[in-house]
Amino acid sequence: MADDLNDTYTYPFDMPSEEAVKFSDGAIAGKPAGVPSSYAEGGSTRWTPEAISEVHALAQLGRYQVRGYNTFNKRMPTFDDLTFVPATMTRLPLEGYRESCDTTTVLGGGRGLVEKPVELKIPIYIASMSFGALSANAKASLGYGASKVGTMTCTGEGGMLEEEREASQTLLYQMSPARYRIDLDHIRRADALEIVVGQGAKPGTGGLLLGMKVSERISEMRTLPVGVDQRSTIRHPDFLGADDLAVKVEELRIATNYQVPIFLKMGATRPRYDVAIAAKAGVDVVVVDGAEGGTGASPELLLNHTGIPTMSSIRAAREALDECGMTGKVSLVAAGGIRSGVDAAKCLALGADAVMIGNGAMIALGCNSPRYYEDFARLGTAPGACHHCHTGLCPVGIATQDPELEARMDPHAGAERIARYLTAMTMEITALAKACGKSSVHNLEVEDLRAMSFEASAFTGVKMAGIDRAFDW
Amino acid sequence: MSARVVEAGQRHIREINDELQKAAAEGQEVVVTNTLSRHNLGIGLPKGAHVRFEGSVGYYCAGLNDGAVIEVERNAGWGLAEGMASGHVTVGGYAGMSAGAAMTGGTIHVKGDSGPRCGVAMKGGNIIVEGKIGYQSGFMAHSGKIIALGGAGHSCADALWEGEVWVAGEVESLGVDVNVVEPTAEEVAEVDSILEPLGLVDSSRNWRKMISGQRLWYFESRDANAWLMI
Ligand code: SF4
Repeated sequence: MADDLNDTYTYPFDMPSEEAVKFSDGAIAGKPAGVPSSYAEGGSTRWTPEAISEVHALAQLGRYQVRGYNTFNKRMPTFDDLTFVPATMTRLPLEGYRESCDTTTVLGGGRGLVEKPVELKIPIYIASMSFGALSANAKASLGYGASKVGTMTCTGEGGMLEEEREASQTLLYQMSPARYRIDLDHIRRADALEIVVGQGAKPGTGGLLLGMKVSERISEMRTLPVGVDQRSTIRHPDFLGADDLAVKVEELRIATNYQVPIFLKMGATRPRYDVAIAAKAGVDVVVVDGAEGGTGASPELLLNHTGIPTMSSIRAAREALDECGMTGKVSLVAAGGIRSGVDAAKCLALGADAVMIGNGAMIALGCNSPRYYEDFARLGTAPGACHHCHTGLCPVGIATQDPELEARMDPHAGAERIARYLTAMTMEITALAKACGKSSVHNLEVEDLRAMSFEASAFTGVKMAGIDRAFDW
Repeated sequence: MSARVVEAGQRHIREINDELQKAAAEGQEVVVTNTLSRHNLGIGLPKGAHVRFEGSVGYYCAGLNDGAVIEVERNAGWGLAEGMASGHVTVGGYAGMSAGAAMTGGTIHVKGDSGPRCGVAMKGGNIIVEGKIGYQSGFMAHSGKIIALGGAGHSCADALWEGEVWVAGEVESLGVDVNVVEPTAEEVAEVDSILEPLGLVDSSRNWRKMISGQRLWYFESRDANAWLMI
């Protein structure tokens, strides 16, 4: 026993004073040696100040919290964990400033079943964000901006907004489980249809639009009482499993006279199986939306703690399509947290045929731009940190239905910013593709990437930089 | 003009629907024979179309109907007249799950029973079922009326918006957030006016009118101040 140790030996000198043992010679009073900083600051890795305030919030509210934007989970990987390995000796680069690189992207033509596959000039389109989540001005801006660069926008679940139909040369019409004002007329005016079974930000959960955004016009379009908190269904009203879905897809083909492709959008959870099932059900395009995807409003726990990262879902989805012989027949679109052409290029290399951007497009419109500081402060936030789309009080007029706030969103300037953002993103993609020796952005491949972390390698099957092998199980 | 006969059989569903559209464009009535309970018969037919299906039909018959008058001789599968905007659909026998799902207008008349989730997510129009409506009928109906003359299964009128479920006969159980209210004479007269053209008025009925209790309508926005700063 440790107590016994003191009995076995006697110093050949007197015991030092207690004061001397406690470093009293010259120690600063008030900062005694041997008192760790945690004595004042704490250091629990479980009960961080964040975790404590979360408990306090739950204890006050008696329910979970709701917010907009996207995941705050710090464990999400970033695309920055991947790097391109351009052509050097084994491959020949293209002249970045002179040679051309094709960006044309065709979606939904692979089965040869529809007359008019979606043909885009660039491999990026604007994600489905509803009129309701976004203002009409924001929707129109997205439409005109996308049209200028030859790409597509999506209605989102709130039905077809006339301003958007007019602005968008190519418009995808979404059929969410809630089926807000779906009718044949709108279906026939769409350039593509999308059946939604989930979204990356909150897979397994339906849409959420709080009362402040359910204006007269929204209520009319969605057949809802004005001002209610709209919590949408997640199961479709008229099909349950994949076999039913196959019949549903056929119905939509008949309704559109086999003209336009049918997309299916899912949140990324088990893409290896989900994508195979969707392809088997007969859709033309599968959209896999990773956990980094944005939303107008969601229970925060779902944003932070459900779904798998975009980068991991792309590889799994591509493998699923390869395995069931559907690569080339079914197009794959990736989404979720794509910020730049660099991120987009990485998605294409991982196996996507196109990418979809939501948050990025909103930021280009002016989300979180350094203006209207007082209004941001009133929401308890600041430009750069705002995630308050759920409140309907968006200081920059994007995620609101308040006419005064909406007026701050100049739809013409917004359109031009979207067009320039998409153009810049496309240039970023082609710059990387050419450096990798590709004459089409669709020739980017996994071999063009290396991972800079074990996680990124394990998530994607991309070879680790250095050892040049995939971190495999 | 006698009705044109279109045989369904094993032919490609596109061909059958194309012929129905063509007949509609020419103002021709159609009788579809040998239906074999095929799915997706009579999708998106326009006003002026008049189609009668002999036998039974599968899923989504009269789906996205846009004004056509459609009769099914016997039974219909899931999603009868789903997404219908206008028109009139009659089923002689039973209708499967989710009859009238998300319809925005028009009338569905089922002479037998209808399966679960009848009128789910409907946004308008009327569904009249002479028999019983299955469990969770009216789930999240936004608008319109479901009228059942022979009772209702469990969880009736669950989570309604502004849709109404009217039941004569036994209701096995109510869904969440339902208010059962005594209809006024005017409201009964309005329902009778829907039943009248179908020859189904009976003044001795003891109606139960179910509407939303509105507890599920508000989740957050009423305590906005509490969470705004979070
Ligand atoms: S600025 Fe507007 S769009 Fe951006 S996060 Fe805030 S509320 Fe949402």
